[in-house]
Amino acid sequence: MFDIKIFEGGEIELHGRLDASQVDKADEVLAHVDKSTTINLKNLEYISSAGLGVLLAHQKRLKSIGHALKLIGPNKHVKDILTLTGFDQVFEIE
Amino acid sequence: MQRIFKRKISSLSQIFNFVNEILNKYNVNESASFSIILAIEELFTNMVKYNIYTDSDISISIEKNGAKIVVIMIDYNVEKFDIRKSGEIDITKSIHERKVGSLGLHLVKKMVDDLDYKYINGESRITFTKILEQIDV
Repeated sequence: MFDIKIFEGGEIELHGRLDASQVDKADEVLAHVDKSTTINLKNLEYISSAGLGVLLAHQKRLKSIGHALKLIGPNKHVKDILTLTGFDQVFEIE
Repeated sequence: MQRIFKRKISSLSQIFNFVNEILNKYNVNESASFSIILAIEELFTNMVKYNIYTDSDISISIEKNGAKIVVIMIDYNVEKFDIRKSGEIDITKSIHERKVGSLGLHLVKKMVDDLDYKYINGESRITFTKILEQIDV
């Protein structure tokens, strides 16, 4: 089960499990982001390379127009994945 | 325990249920479970995405062997592709140089303890093991 929510003020929250069968849902929402935005990962239980690919694609798009995504609150497992893939070099992570 | 899954990304939810059921039965801890599930998803989606000239189902078996979990995934009627020889990715590249994709096999290699590949008569057989910590034994 995966869900993505946008809050007033623009912060985005990812919930549940972002696997290859759920990436379209994330991509659809992130495609509307056109300025620097924080993505809260505190309720994201799992992410695979498909989910990482969506985040990276939108980070590249936003960086090309002078903006960026910032990731906050990943659990230990998600943080490990972000580190193992070098995402800590291309995203600000808190 | 072995189960056969349809070659489509939407099989993932059934795969996760199957894997979780077995890992719970073996009392595998959260950290090892995360690695095993992630490796299975990456390998399965790789088979679905790149072995496009077959509609054969994909087999997944999971067993506990002493202090390790052994997973065997078999893709039938496919070309040879030894995943161990897939190119390394450079995770230190800048955002502009990074490619979207190719992270899956990189993660598999990082998350499992042993990775083996055999190709016989059109059958790709990937075996990986995850060593369990003492608490799981």
